[in-house]
Parts: sequence; C-alpha cells; structure tokens
Amino acid sequence: MLFHTWLFVLFFLIVYLIYLVLKRTRFRLFWLLAVSYFFYACFHPLYPILIAYASLVDYTVVARMAKSSRGKAWLFVSIFNNLALLGFFKYGGFVTDNLNLLLSSLGISYAIAEPGIILPVGLSFYTLQSMSYTIDFYRGNIEREKSFIAYAAYVSLFPRLLAGPIERAKSLLPQLHTTPRISIQDVTDGLSLFAVGLFKKVALADYMALYVDKVYAAPEQFKSPALLLATFLFSWQIYFDFSGYTDMARGLARMMGVRLMLNFNNPYLATGLGDFWRRWHISLSSWFKDYVYIPLGGNRHGKLKTYRNMFLTMIISGLWHGAAWTFVIWGAVHALGRFLTRELEGTSFYKEKVPGLVKQLFVFALVTFAWIFFRAENISDAWLIITRLFSSGLANPYCPLLALTLILTVWLYQFIYESAIRWVLETRAVRIGLVVAMIMYLAVFAKSSETPFIYLQF
Amino acid sequence: MNRSDRRETMELEIPFGSNCVRLSGFEWLIVAVVVSALFYCVPILWKHIEKLKPGPDYRLPYSLSDDYWLFSRYCQWACSREKTLVIGDSVVWGHYVSKENTLSGYLNEVAGRHKFVNMGVDGIHPVALAGLLRYYGRDITDKDIILHFNPLWTSSKKHDLQIEKEFNFNHPKLVPQFVPNIPCYKVSSSVRIKSVIERYISFFSWTSHLKRAYFENPDLPRWTLEHPYENPLKNITLQLPASDGYNWSGHLPWYEKGVTKQDIQWVAIENSLQWRFFKYSVELLRKRGNRVLVLLGPFNEHILQRGSINTYRQMKKKIEAWLKQNNIPYYMPEALPSSMYRDASHPLSEGYVELARQLFKSAYGGSD
Repeated sequence: MLFHTWLFVLFFLIVYLIYLVLKRTRFRLFWLLAVSYFFYACFHPLYPILIAYASLVDYTVVARMAKSSRGKAWLFVSIFNNLALLGFFKYGGFVTDNLNLLLSSLGISYAIAEPGIILPVGLSFYTLQSMSYTIDFYRGNIEREKSFIAYAAYVSLFPRLLAGPIERAKSLLPQLHTTPRISIQDVTDGLSLFAVGLFKKVALADYMALYVDKVYAAPEQFKSPALLLATFLFSWQIYFDFSGYTDMARGLARMMGVRLMLNFNNPYLATGLGDFWRRWHISLSSWFKDYVYIPLGGNRHGKLKTYRNMFLTMIISGLWHGAAWTFVIWGAVHALGRFLTRELEGTSFYKEKVPGLVKQLFVFALVTFAWIFFRAENISDAWLIITRLFSSGLANPYCPLLALTLILTVWLYQFIYESAIRWVLETRAVRIGLVVAMIMYLAVFAKSSETPFIYLQF
Repeated sequence: MNRSDRRETMELEIPFGSNCVRLSGFEWLIVAVVVSALFYCVPILWKHIEKLKPGPDYRLPYSLSDDYWLFSRYCQWACSREKTLVIGDSVVWGHYVSKENTLSGYLNEVAGRHKFVNMGVDGIHPVALAGLLRYYGRDITDKDIILHFNPLWTSSKKHDLQIEKEFNFNHPKLVPQFVPNIPCYKVSSSVRIKSVIERYISFFSWTSHLKRAYFENPDLPRWTLEHPYENPLKNITLQLPASDGYNWSGHLPWYEKGVTKQDIQWVAIENSLQWRFFKYSVELLRKRGNRVLVLLGPFNEHILQRGSINTYRQMKKKIEAWLKQNNIPYYMPEALPSSMYRDASHPLSEGYVELARQLFKSAYGGSD
C-alpha cells in the first residue's frame, strides 16, 4: 500500500477521520499504533512482529539503562540488536556471497548456502531511528519514554515508516504526547506537501524511470549520449522519487498535526559535496554525523583524521544504502568528492572567483557520476557504462524531449527559489497556477502506477 | 513552555519545504473550483471541437473498442434520433465483415431506410456489457432495442469468467470491481478503485479517449519514449479513426479453415455469470423505459459434437423459459447453414443477410 495508490488514499481517509475523532482522547496513540502496524502488515503479515520486537528491545534497554549503572552495557545490547537485525536481513546474502567468493579463490569447493531472506521494507530506517533513541538517552540528551505505546508509535508512525525521515526522539516523541491542535493551515499545508510529492513521484520519477531502466538494463547496447542522458535522468529520478516520498510523508503527518523534519532542500543547487549532504537525505546525513562521524572524532584531530573519518562515514553510509560493492564505491566516490570540494573551498580563487553556477554544475556532475555506481546492477556494469561514456562514440539517444524539458523546468524553478527573485514564485497566481497545472498534468498525462519507491529497497 | 510556544518554536525549527507551493484554505478552494470546472467543462467542450458524424451503418472504430467515452457520445447521438439500437458483442459489430455487411446494415437494407444503429462493441461479453450500459449508456432511454446474447460466453468456465487462474479478458474496467468477486480478475485494489472513479468522472474517460484515439496507446509517457522528439499535441488532429479500420479479409467458412467439430463444456445457465449479467442488462434497459427484443444466437451448431448440441438446446430452452416468464420479446433463430459461419458464433455476410431477413420478418412482420 504505497502513498501514490488509490488504496492508500482510501485507507488514509478512513484513518484520518477516526483520528480526528480520537485526537483528544487517550485512544489516539493506540489508534496511531494500530493503523501503523496494519499499514506495515499490508506489505507482509509478519513485519509487525519484527518492528514490535525492535521497539520492545530498545524500550526495555532504556528502561534498564535508567535503573542501572551499567548504561554502556545496555547501550551495547541495543546497538548489537539493531545491527544484528540489519546484518541478518540486509547483509546475510552479501556476506555469504563474498565468503563464497573468498573460498573459491582459495580453491575450496565448499559453498555456504544463501540465506534467501528478503529485506523487510523500512527496517533500515526504523532501526536507525530506534538506535538514536537509546544513544541519545545514554548521552543524556533525552528523557526516558515511559509509555511503550508512545514509543512503539514513535518507531512505527506510518507516514514515515517505510523510508523516513529518520526522526529523533527529541523531536517526535513530544509531538506524540501533545494533543494535536490541527488547524486548517495544517491540513492545507499537508495537502500542499502531498500534492508536490505525488507530482514528483508519479509525473516525474516514474516517467524518468522509463528511459533510465531501458538504458541501464542493457548498457552495452547504448552509446555515449544515451548513457549520459540516462545517468542525468537517473540523478533526477532518484531525487524526485525519494523527495517525493518524503514530501508525501511530511504532508500526511502534518495533516495529523505532526511535523516531520525537512529531508531534501534542493540538493542539486549545492556548491560543495558537504553542502550537498546538508541538503540530501538530511535526516540520514545528520544521523551519520551525530552517531558515526563525531564519535569517530569528527574534524577535531587534524586534516588527515578528519578525512579518514569522512571516508569511513561515507563508506558506512554507502553500505547502509545497499549490501553490494557498488554502494561501497558510491560512498567512496562521495568521500573523495568531498575531500576535493573541501580543499577547493579552502582556496580563495575557488571561493571568490569561481561563479556559484559553475560550482553548482561541478557538484552536480560529481554527484551524477557517483550515481552510476548506485544505479548499475553490478561493478562490471558500472565500469562498462563509464568506459562507454567516453569511448563508444555518438548516436541518437532517443531520449524524450519532454523528460528533459520537465527536468530543466524544475531546475530553473529551484534556481529562482534560491535567488533574489523568489518573490515571483511566492505570488498567489503562480502558486495556484502551479498546483492546477500539476493536477491537470497528473490527470491527463501521467500514468497511474504502483511502482515502488526506490528507497524501499534500502 | 506552553503549547503555543512549543508550536511556534517548532515552526522555526522545522522549515515547511524547499519550494513555494504552499496554499492557504482559500487558495485550495480556488484550485478546487478551477479543477472542477476544467473536469466538468473540457469533455463537454471537446464534443464541439471533435466532430463525431456517424454516417450510414457507422460502427465504433475497432481500435476504439475500449473507448467508453466515445461509446457514450455515440449513444447520445443515436438516442437523439428515432433509431433502433442493435446492441451486442462482435457478432453485432461484425468482426469479419465490412460495416455495410453487418446485421444492422442488412436490417437497414431490408427496412429500406437507416433505422437500425450498430451499437456493437468488439469483445464485449455480457458482464462487461452490463457495466457499459449502466455507466456509459445512461442516455439509452425509451428506445427500441435489439439486444444480442451470444451463447459463446457460456461455452466454458473460462469464457464465463469462472476460473481461478488469472487471464486477460476483454473490457476489465467494465466488470464489477469488488462485488460479486470475479475469480480470474486479480488486479490490485487501487486499479479497481481507479476503474470505479473513471465511471463516475467523465473527465477520466475523456483522457482515455484522447490516448486511444490519437496515440493508440493508453500510456502517454511510454508513447513519448517511442516518439522522443515529437510534440504530443500535434498528434491530436481531431480526426477520429475510420469506422472500418479493421481488416476483415478472409471470407472462408469455418470448415475450410481446418476447424474441426468441438465438444464444448457449456456452463449450466443457472450458474452462469455471463447469463446473470445479461439478465441484469435486460432488466436495466427495461427499467429505463426501453422496449427490448432479445436476439439469441444463432450459434453455429454445425461446429458442435452431438453431446454439445444437446446441452446447448437444453440451455436455449431454459433461456426461452426465462424470457417468456418475464414477458420479454425474443427471437431465437435456428442455426444458419454451415457455410454461413466464419467460426462458432460469427456469421459471414450471407449469414447476416439471412439473419436480418428472418429477424425483420419475425420482429416487424415484414414492415416497420
């Protein structure tokens, strides 16, 4: 049951009406928890057991931590349990594949059986969210949540369950405890966010996917222009897909009186890789910054260690995205890009002489190059695409002009949004006109689909 | 910190978004009014822009068999004139013959004037026909109607949509989406809800019309992939496909095509889903003040083995009993000569001539 399906619209309408009735009663959290678990069960009837287990362990750990002097040991239990869940469901296949590869390279004919486990959707997100709660409590940043229902609702809140934003307990738990005061503005804001997200997903991301999937399914059949355009389109497809999901999630939550954090802030306008990660999947970047990069030492011990910490953080981030070497390389490319832009930003020439637009295009090119590893089926495909990009010659790419026009329009909109003439976009006529145009485009042109969000696989 | 303070703090901490698309309640109201007006007006205006001029013996273009908006428009046209509507599947539409050589074509010839309208839709089985008449044939009121029942749709559990295994049958958008459950129809709930919405909001069936009539593809994004440098708007020529676009070449009777006799496992009529929905269509049309004459078959009995013929005749008797019991006029012709059939249910031109002659004589006593 995905946000952009009619079934979800029906589900939400029913859930929302009952929520409005219950919002001032003590049943509100029960209702939120029940519908969140039901929503999750729609993907697989056993998933609620898994999320209930993960929630129960961390809730208990914090309860024990509060009463015990051995906080570190309990923190270890929480981290171990969450990583074990991730390891078992997400990395089992990856580890056995690589062990088998190692064994065969050593001439040993024995092969470990594939675990054949499917990664439960949302696991990567809610384990991080749950872990942040135990770590923050251990650090003394938050108080213990006494109600298990509230804690379980925090972990499983259905608008953000599948792919974030990864909310911190400090921000979300107090909102769950407060009786929501849902104003007309909350509802209309929620609708605005949802409409934009829906347009991004259905009209843009799924449209871009048609060309990207065609080219990336058989890169050996395409020449440089097609590979270049497919990679360019993928950059935008993944942005539209993931930020579209987030917009819808935030919109739904907002209609329920819950504010989720901003997760994307026009990332393709970034002027450096550091800036990019402050704009792309912000909840994950800040999670890795707070719980990996800073504990590793952050930038406190000289340039070399700073870069080492950045590199490790990006590699772990890559691995979090997917259990494959392509994601590790994607993380490494981002780390290298970050060193490069950081060094450049240290020079007065780059800082003062290079125009902002050039920096933005440079960062976009770096990020787009890295996406090749993210999108390719495997390393050899990625390598094939890169080599063919530069050596396969020219041929008509047969890339829909409409797709490129849409992307350039969105990009132009974002440039204007961050410029001095933003007021143009703020005028009532433009805002209303845009929403009408989006709705009509969706109704006439877009094909309603049930294509899952890309990030559901992570 | 009180509640409003906390709220204000949160407003400061959590930005709304990274664009300016943030509408107030009043602005959403404007959007709702504008969009509703567009949804309501565009299909109506389109009827004035895109001309539908059905000539004599017109039938819906084969490529637009799934274009229910056009069917609805064609209904409006037919019902605004003193016409008798001939409704049914490809037997009425005339799958193997040109538009002049169909049942309605020959009925017009026998009648000596253009009185009969071919409202056949290719591939429309009775379950879908019930949906078509209910949702897109609302204009059919107080008319003379010849409603054809093709027994082919009860010739197996598969034809009767009663098998569990999923298969692609015709006109899925017209069948009941939730109740009663059709076991071989296994699309997601979202697709079902969308089909239901399309029935009530004509704007969506109009968009389907645009896609089918001008792009030959219900999936516009995919169309742009196949025509990457074309302007989609240029394709909207406002010229509907020809009524006779289908290639009906091949005028051989069934036995000259190597078809052998068949042992058909008829579905008992009392258990048949297709028959149940055909009855529903008859009742629906009558409720709307129409005068319905049911035409049954004529099925190609020559293609049946002896056992199948007996079962078929028993089935006919049961159908006849129901029609009599409900005082529904009907015509149940004997099978046409074997050489007049193209397959199990479709007559060739000669078959239509004979059928039209018999039907006209039986129903109108030789004069209208």
